[in-house]
Amino acid sequence: MWKLLKNDLIIERSNKKNIIAILVVALFVFGLFSYEKLENSQKLIDEKGSESQSLSAALTKFQPPDAMDDGTGNELYYNLLQQKQYVVNQSMALKIDRPQLYLDTGLKLVEVRASAFELEDYEKVATNLPTKTENHLDAILYQFMDKAGIVVSQDSLSFFPFLLSVFMMLGSFWFIFISIFSSGILIEEFRHISLIKGYPVSFDKYVLAKSTSAMLIVLIFIAEIFACSLPFIYFYGVGDANYPVAIFDGSYKVITILEYIGIALIYMIFIAIFTILLSVILNVLLKNMYLTLFVQLLLFIAPSLFPALVSLVPFNPFNYMNFTNLLNGQSLDLAKPVGLELVHGLIYIGISIILMLAAVKLFFTTGKLKKV
Amino acid sequence: MRAYFKFEFIQFMFNKKNIAVYVILLFFACFYALKIAPAYDPIEKVDREEIEARFLTREDFLNNVVLDENTYPLTRFAAAIYPEWNEYDKQRLDALAAGDMKKYAEATFNWYVYSDNMIFRNGKDILYYNSRYYTAGNLYATEDGHYAYMYSASRFDGYAKGDSNLSINVFEERTALQTLQRLLHSYLPLILLISCILFAADIVLKDKKNPSLIKGFPISVWRSLLVKGGVALTGSILTVIPLAVGFVIIAIRNGIGDLNLPVPVFSYKTKAFTTISMGEYLFQNALLILFWFFMLISLLLLVSIIVKNEFANLVAGCVVVFAEYYYYVRGLGYVKDIHWYPSSYVQVGQIIAGYREYLNNSVALTLKNGLLVMAVCTVICLLLTFIISNHRRYKLL
Amino acid sequence: MLELKNIGVNFSGRDILKEISITFQPGEIIGLVAPNGTGKSTLMNVIMNYLRPNSGKVVFNNGLEYSSKKNEVKIHQLVSMMPDQSDLYNHLSGRQHLKIYSSMWNSNPELIDSTIKALGMESYVNKKTGTYSLGMRQRLCFAMQIVSDTQIMLMDEVMNGLDPTQVEIISQMLVKKKAEGKTIIIASHLLENLEKYADRIFFVKNGSLDLIEDIYSDLGVNGNMVIRVKEGTEQLKEKLAKAFPELSIQLLASGVTLIDFPKNEADRLESISAFLSDNDKPEFSVGKMTLGDLYSKYYH
Repeated sequence: MWKLLKNDLIIERSNKKNIIAILVVALFVFGLFSYEKLENSQKLIDEKGSESQSLSAALTKFQPPDAMDDGTGNELYYNLLQQKQYVVNQSMALKIDRPQLYLDTGLKLVEVRASAFELEDYEKVATNLPTKTENHLDAILYQFMDKAGIVVSQDSLSFFPFLLSVFMMLGSFWFIFISIFSSGILIEEFRHISLIKGYPVSFDKYVLAKSTSAMLIVLIFIAEIFACSLPFIYFYGVGDANYPVAIFDGSYKVITILEYIGIALIYMIFIAIFTILLSVILNVLLKNMYLTLFVQLLLFIAPSLFPALVSLVPFNPFNYMNFTNLLNGQSLDLAKPVGLELVHGLIYIGISIILMLAAVKLFFTTGKLKKV
Repeated sequence: MRAYFKFEFIQFMFNKKNIAVYVILLFFACFYALKIAPAYDPIEKVDREEIEARFLTREDFLNNVVLDENTYPLTRFAAAIYPEWNEYDKQRLDALAAGDMKKYAEATFNWYVYSDNMIFRNGKDILYYNSRYYTAGNLYATEDGHYAYMYSASRFDGYAKGDSNLSINVFEERTALQTLQRLLHSYLPLILLISCILFAADIVLKDKKNPSLIKGFPISVWRSLLVKGGVALTGSILTVIPLAVGFVIIAIRNGIGDLNLPVPVFSYKTKAFTTISMGEYLFQNALLILFWFFMLISLLLLVSIIVKNEFANLVAGCVVVFAEYYYYVRGLGYVKDIHWYPSSYVQVGQIIAGYREYLNNSVALTLKNGLLVMAVCTVICLLLTFIISNHRRYKLL
Repeated sequence: MLELKNIGVNFSGRDILKEISITFQPGEIIGLVAPNGTGKSTLMNVIMNYLRPNSGKVVFNNGLEYSSKKNEVKIHQLVSMMPDQSDLYNHLSGRQHLKIYSSMWNSNPELIDSTIKALGMESYVNKKTGTYSLGMRQRLCFAMQIVSDTQIMLMDEVMNGLDPTQVEIISQMLVKKKAEGKTIIIASHLLENLEKYADRIFFVKNGSLDLIEDIYSDLGVNGNMVIRVKEGTEQLKEKLAKAFPELSIQLLASGVTLIDFPKNEADRLESISAFLSDNDKPEFSVGKMTLGDLYSKYYH
């Protein structure tokens, strides 16, 4: 096994594909940085501005009788009015740099908003407002910050906040990137089949070594992400590694940036192993790199094309491949809401990995492989 | 050379990957036609109830408002602008009741012009566009509404002045041709360009598998590259066939529309819309997409002969197609010369319609410049390919 | 020791190998000769278990068989097949290939350098194989197998693309390996070269292995003389057949006509030569029957 791995690394070391992939990762990090920089630093103020506009637009849906003060008026109308007032206050608080005021009004805002979801005719204005899940995440974030005495930060370019946005972005692309990267994992080997066919090792060991060497390269990518972000410490400082982020992992909770990165790393490693093994199996079955890639991508987008699948087959590992959306609690906003849990995702992906390993061990033999 | 083209083309058509691309396109076309298109819910729709509710409320207000020196300025403002506005709404309702599409189009044109004028110029923070533009998180809702209202005005003006057959489906842009137009305005160009990348990614490097077979062909490297490019181009154009299936399905359900339907085109210079015919719009799109194909294929040929790695081809293609996501920020065109980057022209339909000019505050993101940039890039890539492939010591395989 | 027991392979009803039973001993070089598509490679694939035979089994040293995946691994430690030169990693150097093979089979790393030296590969072994010529690639493939140092070595067309000097070097190497006690099975078309070092040579025909000594005696041509006539024609062949009905006469594609007759009937030579002179074919040669002659006779 070790000698196999060593030999694989000799082969991979000079493989152009890996060098290109490493360049792509660097390009991604630096590109994202320039993007973050372009997005102006007043992001939060702009967001609040648009929020207030959306509320105003929502208010136009109501008729004058809704605004009667004698108690016959529409409850939702008043709720929205109140929301708008808080949003404007928040915006003001940002502009005059009073973060505590921002937080205090934020707390009131999320409370009012939470009650709006239960009101009559809410669906009329639903698109103009954040979803229930988004509001809930905001709520626990504000509560946490209030309790812990942390003030809102608008800094997104220093090391840790930047890493957070890198990993959030990666959450959506990681599976795609790894599947493109690994789609030819065995196909490339099949081109040298007469060399490897007679190796005095079993095929499952061979596949394991191959997957492990691919995994090592993936780890290099991950290390590279950190390395490429390091220069930003020089320009923008380290930032606060303990700044809170609200997530949904089965229940709503607040974690630190560091913890978020930790979760992301665990998921990325699981997803990478999963994808590499899937590529191996599809390579043997389909004997074509692109078909492997297409099947993987179709499986990946299937839950988005047919959202009903998610609640129907909650144990489908592909529900969990986009961990940014997972942590945003996006599945809670589906027509049929499902609370996809973080740990369950790891369990399902883990089980899939074990099943695939078992399949490789039981069904694959070298002898039947043909040159492609 | 013809025999070689045939040889390459047959290989292309029997390539599992290419077949898969066509099958997937067919699947998406059907999926779109059967599942997504029927669920299309335009913001600017023909909604009699909505018009009626607005009309009656305002009518009620106008009948009851008392104007004297104590009247609140906003009330005064409303009383001033509602009469004309309501007149248009009334005309729309009457036309709908009478089933007179032409009249409806005319009244609607006036309504949009007047509404936009009121909201955008006079009604900041008082009047709003259709509330569906103000989705949570949209920082540019007003701009979106402004564009959509100007666009609709121009469109209905075109309907009123043109002689196309009008129907609710036409007004709501549901006919097959209009659906195509909407798609060109969104994901379709991306899908076509990615298909092109997939087709061209292995067209040169597949020969690595059987070099001795190909090496000896009595055709120079440069010429064989040209033929390969030609095959990839033909294959890319053939994507029209699976996509046409979706088109036919929509045409059967909602009618085909016609090639004289007006398509509004925005010009940043005049800050106004003019219309061109659907036929011309589609032609211009096809032209720019064709130039995109030229560019991508020549780029991939160049990368193929330099790096000789399929993964590199995919990366190079995707970088060009997706680069815009990295530098796109609304209004950037005003400060930066993004019209020199080929990747600024990815949204082909939006370029032709002038939407990109609007988004980027740039006068330069035009079809003409797009064709120019693509042509220049193509020529550069081909020239480099020519020089490298004709170099004495260069070996393709 | 390698033993084949009743190996039978058929593809879609056609017998490629029929009931083959044979034992190969250590320190033995076996030559397999046959036209293309007669089952040489099939036999090797069966020995490697790349192809499961329809009947029979392959038994190694102490009754080791392909009965489980574990055994397959053990057997592959003992037996290797020469890689195909088109399968080399173009972005790796020759030495890297040798290192990989050496480490895979856990062989003595010193073999790498000694093999490079013995095969005269020093000048290019550190370059990427993508730059190699066919002969260089072929030598590398051979070197890789030597470096793997397995007990049994299967080589399909090992001399392909090699010039006569290289053929000679490799032949010497084979003899050396044989002296070390390896079992080497070679499929080759270089009959005369094969004859120099092979202990046993088999022709493969109709799914069975025929030892050439048996063929000589079966055909009754053991020790026969052969007359080769240049520029033979169909008419000449017919004339000859009429004049000497008891002789076996063969017209080769090259235009050479072969006439063979038992050694002890040397007087025939005179009458044949007289006949040939009469027919304006004074140019001919007489010699012992070679393996090549036997081959053309056997497969004609």
